[in-house]
Parts: sequence; C-alpha cells; structure tokens
Amino acid sequence: MFEAVAFYLFGALTIAMFLIVVSTKNILYSMSALAAGMIFISAFFFLLDAEFLGVVQIVVYTGAVMALYAFGMMFFDSTRDVKENIENPRAVFVLSGMIALLLVLMLGAPIVGANIEASQPTPENMGNAQAVGVVLFTKYLIPFEVAALMLLVAMIAGIILAGKKMDHSLTLMNEEDSNICDREYKKNKKEEQS
Amino acid sequence: MVNSKAKYVEVELEKYSLKPFDRFKRVMKRTFKGELFVGLGIVFREMVRFNIHTTQYPGEKLPISPRYRAIHELLRLLESGNERCIGCGLCEKICISKCIRMDTHLGEDGRKHISEYTINFGRCIFCGYCAEVCPELAIVHGPRYENSSEQRAHFGLKEDMLTPIDVFKKGAQKEYPGFGAPSPDADKRIKKTPLAY
Amino acid sequence: MSAYIIETIIKVVVVMLVFSALAGFITYLERKVLAFMQRRLGPMYVGPYGLLQVLADGIKLFTKEDIVPSNANRPIFMIAPVISAATAFIAMAAIPFFPEFDLFGHTVRPIISDINVGLLFVLSVGAIGMYGPLLAGMSSGNKWSLLGAARATVQLLSFEVVSGLAILAPLMVIGSLSLIDINNYQHGGIFDWLVWTQPVAFLLFIIAGYAELNRTPFDLLEHEAEVVAGFATEYSGMRWGMFFIGEYANMITLAFLSALIFFGGFNDLWFIPGGIAILLKVMFFIFLFLWVRAAWPHIRPDQLMWLCWKVLMPIALVNILITGIVVMI
Ligand code: SF4
Ligand code: SF4
Repeated sequence: MFEAVAFYLFGALTIAMFLIVVSTKNILYSMSALAAGMIFISAFFFLLDAEFLGVVQIVVYTGAVMALYAFGMMFFDSTRDVKENIENPRAVFVLSGMIALLLVLMLGAPIVGANIEASQPTPENMGNAQAVGVVLFTKYLIPFEVAALMLLVAMIAGIILAGKKMDHSLTLMNEEDSNICDREYKKNKKEEQS
Repeated sequence: MVNSKAKYVEVELEKYSLKPFDRFKRVMKRTFKGELFVGLGIVFREMVRFNIHTTQYPGEKLPISPRYRAIHELLRLLESGNERCIGCGLCEKICISKCIRMDTHLGEDGRKHISEYTINFGRCIFCGYCAEVCPELAIVHGPRYENSSEQRAHFGLKEDMLTPIDVFKKGAQKEYPGFGAPSPDADKRIKKTPLAY
Repeated sequence: MSAYIIETIIKVVVVMLVFSALAGFITYLERKVLAFMQRRLGPMYVGPYGLLQVLADGIKLFTKEDIVPSNANRPIFMIAPVISAATAFIAMAAIPFFPEFDLFGHTVRPIISDINVGLLFVLSVGAIGMYGPLLAGMSSGNKWSLLGAARATVQLLSFEVVSGLAILAPLMVIGSLSLIDINNYQHGGIFDWLVWTQPVAFLLFIIAGYAELNRTPFDLLEHEAEVVAGFATEYSGMRWGMFFIGEYANMITLAFLSALIFFGGFNDLWFIPGGIAILLKVMFFIFLFLWVRAAWPHIRPDQLMWLCWKVLMPIALVNILITGIVVMI
C-alpha cells in the first residue's frame, strides 16, 4: 500500500514537472522543473530497491548534467521569456504527440504481451553497487571500455580547445603585452583590410 | 615617535621564476613548509592566552585626548560666575560652515549681553576655529562625544552649552585644558605685540 | 509497519529540531571562537556571555520583512533558500549519528534510513544543495547574485569530483558504501582508523568538503569584498536565514562524515563510550572549521580551479591507483 501511494505520488509529480518543462516559456522555470523531475525519477529506483541507480541518477543528471545546462544559461537573460518561432504549432503538437505515443506503444507492448519478468533475479548477499559492478565488468565490458575511450578523446579535445591561452597570466604580463588580445585583434583587422 | 635617522629599507623580493620546474618547487615549498600551520598556531595561542583587548564601550570608556574636539561648551568666569562670552562675534565670523548664530543686546547695567547663542551641529565640522579665535576662552570644545538625541537641535542652544550655575557653584567647572585653551607654558612663550614697539 | 513509520517520523522530527537548534548554536560558537582568536570578546550583551544572541538573531530574522525584488523571478526566488536548507537536512537521513541504544526496552537505531549506499546518498544530496545558490543567483535579477551563482556552480561541480575520488580509495579498502559498515570496519581501536591508512584521502576529502561548504579559505560564493554577498545579495529575513541554516547543517554533516569515515566513527575509544567519542570528534571538526576561518586568508577563483584540477584531482587519482595496487596484492 505504502509503495503504491509513493509510486502514484511520484508518478504524478514527475509528469507534472516534465509538463512544465515543455510548456513554459521561461528557461529558468523549465530548468528547475527538469532538475526536479530528474530527482523524482530517482524515487522510482529507490522504490524498486535499486538505491545505487537512484543515487547515481541524482548525481549524474541533477548534480552534473543539469548544472552544466545552468552554467550555459547564465549567458542569457533568464528573467525574460523566450519568444518561440513556430510557424505551425498544431503540426508540431501533432507530430510530437504521435512520436510520444509511438514510443510508449513500442516500449509498452512487450510488457503487455509477454508479461515480462526479471530473467536474472538479483543474487542474494550482493549489494546494489556490487551487482552493477559485476554486470558492468562482465557482460558489458566492451561497451564500457569503448565509452571510457570516447570520453577520454572528448576530454583531450576539450582541453586542447580551451587551453590555448591558458599559460598567459594577465597579472604577470608586462604592460605592453597585457593587451595582447587587443593587438591580435588589430592585426587580424589589418590583414582583412589588405 | 618618528626616528629622524630612520632610513628607507629596500625589500628584497625573491626572483619570481616562471619555469615549470621552479614553479613546481615553489608549490612544494609552500605546501610543506608549514606556514599554514604557523598561522593556525598563532591564532590558537592567542585564544588560549585569552589576552582580550575589547573595551566594552558603554560600560568602559577609553580616555580621550585633551585636544579632542567634541561638543562645544560655554564657560563662566571663575571668580564671579558671569558668562565669559563678551559677545565680540569673532567666532561667528570665523566659523567656516557658518553655523554659529548669536544675538546681543545692551543690558540695563550698560554691558553687552548675549541673548542668543546657538551652534547648528548639523553643519558644524568641529574644526575648532571658534575655540581658537575666542579671546576670552569662553567657547571651548568639551570632552563629551556621545551626542545622540531625538533632536538634532539638542546641545546646540546656549542653555545646553553654558555651564549650569548650580554646577558652577559647586566648583565643578574645570578649566578645560583642551582645544582653544592656552598651552601650559603659555606664560613663557608670550610676546609683546608689534604695536607696543 | 505502522510502528516503523511512526518511529521514522519521530526520528525525522528529532533530527530536524536538534540540528536546526545546533546550527543556530554553532553561529554563536563561531562568533565567540573567532572573537577569542582575534583578541575580542564577541557577543556579550544579550543574556549571560551573549548566550541569548542566537535567540535575538532568530527573532530578528523571523520578523524581518520578506523582500522579493520586482525584477526577480518570484517563485524560483522563493524556493531557492528552501532547497538549500532542505537538502542539508535530507542528507542527514543516511547518517548513523550514534551507536544503537535501548530506550524503554526498545532498540533505537539512530539513523533515519539505513540504505546500503548511504555515503553516496549523502554526497549526492549534497550535490543537489548546489541548486540553492544556483537558482538564487539566477532568479535574483542582480549581477552580483549571478556571479555568485556562477562561482557556486564551478566550485561545487569541480570539488564534487575531488571529494568523490578521494572517498573512493577508502571505499575500495572497505568494500561497502554503507556508513554503518564503514564504521564497523574500524571497530578495533584507534589503530584501525582509516586516517592512518588513507591520510591523503582524508586531506583531499576535507579540503573538498571546505570548498563545497563554501567555508574559508574557499568562501568565494559570497565574498563581500568581491561580489557583495554573492548569491544571497537580494535576500533578507528568514529566506536569507535558511541559506545560513543550510550552511551550518552541512557543516555538521561534514563533521559527522569525516568522523565516521576516517576517525573511527562511534566505536568505543579506550574508556570513552562510542556516543561520546563521536560527539568529541564532531566537536573537534566544527572547531577546525572555525579555527581555519580565523587563521587563513581566502584564495582567488583561478587559484581555486588550479588547486582543484591540477593538484587535488591528480593526487586523488594517484591515491586510488596506489590503493588499488595495494588492495590487489
Ligand atoms: S568648530 Fe568650526 S564649524 Fe564648528 S562652530 Fe566652531 S568654527 Fe564653526
Ligand atoms: S569669540 Fe568668544 S567672546 Fe567672542 S562672541 Fe564668540 S564666544 Fe563670545
């Protein structure tokens, strides 16, 4: 009973939050609602006794991904409403609604049809974290390693892109050098003109 | 005390090398030299010593210098108890913020009397010129610096500044050695005015 | 079932009341200790030795006008401090504060919810706490608030990495994420404490903790000399007070975490029973917060990032590597 109440409560909350995300015009509202929705999703993991996944959901989605969104949003004026530029709102509505319906049907059909049950019940005397670890390093070892490699590549690329001017220190520069950006800008302009 | 023989000392600044290895060494030195712990040690020592320097203000007060220029006082003559002010108007003239206002009349005894004397403390900058210029030592800067009140006109009237006659009778008016009063060795330093030659 | 629910509710209420009162008391302690270290007296007039100053401040905060700037995003502006305070208390749900004890013939376990990833839960809720300053800064419609929020995001995101990596090494040694298991691992007296085997992890964890709690030397979020009051510039009254309570509740959480993970938790220490032992340790860590605040200056934002990514994170990784090798052998 307790779990059913919790499930419906969090279900309603999650849906409400994601509705706000897609329907509001204010980016600050949608960001906060998205973050809250992510947290409410983790409640389902907790209800299913998958605490590790629940916590990871909070850390990764709300703690890291949403925070990066928020960081990007700081470059905009978050107090003003976004003007949407949609030619035909009805078409968008119908199309996205159809896609959503299709997804629900596709994912829901097997459950209705075949009454799916967990084929590999979680082993006893093994915590959540261990279970995830075992699966990760046996069954999914190759995807895991490939993902790690891709992340490494992305990280190196990011560092190279961002780190070009990192060894210049404005405080330690000479007076003339401190407007280095300025001079480069002028030089570029001259080259453009000539 | 300023030592006139004191010389400027050049501070030897360490060479601030920017080579990567030198920077690494610098970080290591700063991390492991324990300077951070010296700081922790000092504050802890002070806490244990409990050598508190707080003055708990309304309860205790620090003595103020006689040269301190607080709210003005009008004094009385020590012998007769008459007001010292002769109504010459010099203070009114010299006041740079034009905040002294006075009115005089001819008394029945044929002397000049002060009927009004006010200082607008909203404008006074406590420069002390009035006390310095007064030929009779009538207006001086008193030691009272706690001047909060509901009315800014308080302390500024003649009644507020003049030594009350009962206080004076008890001999409580002190010759204030403060701003505007002659210095203790004034007698020695006095000179003839050029007119006497 | 219903007995369990009632017990949980009672625990929640007790934890809320005790720790919000303690958070208030720590503000008093902080003022006093800082004052003594700077040869001052601190609050003296309200009550004996200023003890009732906390109460006076509370009354002041509660009765102050609740100002919402007209350019602010009203709902978000009003929610933000609640997030800050709420996450601080939610994080306490998975912390075992004391050893089990008997009350009226009923064994009480002083932990609200014993989930087997307790430590991770505490850290993740702490990460959510970042939304307090973040949303506060973004909804205030004030540039200082926005700068404070940007600093909050950068600082908390970066140092979460460090604290996560730092805590990984001791976890590898113990092999469990439950704070009770971690505590029981160190039951064999003072030489079983993890701080002896993992000193580097402890240092990293405490440094990252200071940064996440926004304490001196890393108090960049609301450094008065640079960004007025950071994300809290526009806040007044009890909303501002909630940020404050959140910060101090987080301090208590971090003190408990350090004591549990690295300093033997609530195991008996010589003749001292476990309950008192952990209180002593927590008090020491709280004192350390104040001590450090009195002694050390704060650092620049670029130095902070440099410290995080170029110094602490590599050290944490090396520490994990070495621990891994040792564990494998
Ligand atoms: S102290 Fe200066 S400003 Fe004040 S009344 Fe005297 S002359 Fe005027
Ligand atoms: S200068 Fe002195 S004597 Fe002359 S009017 Fe002013 S207070 Fe009176």
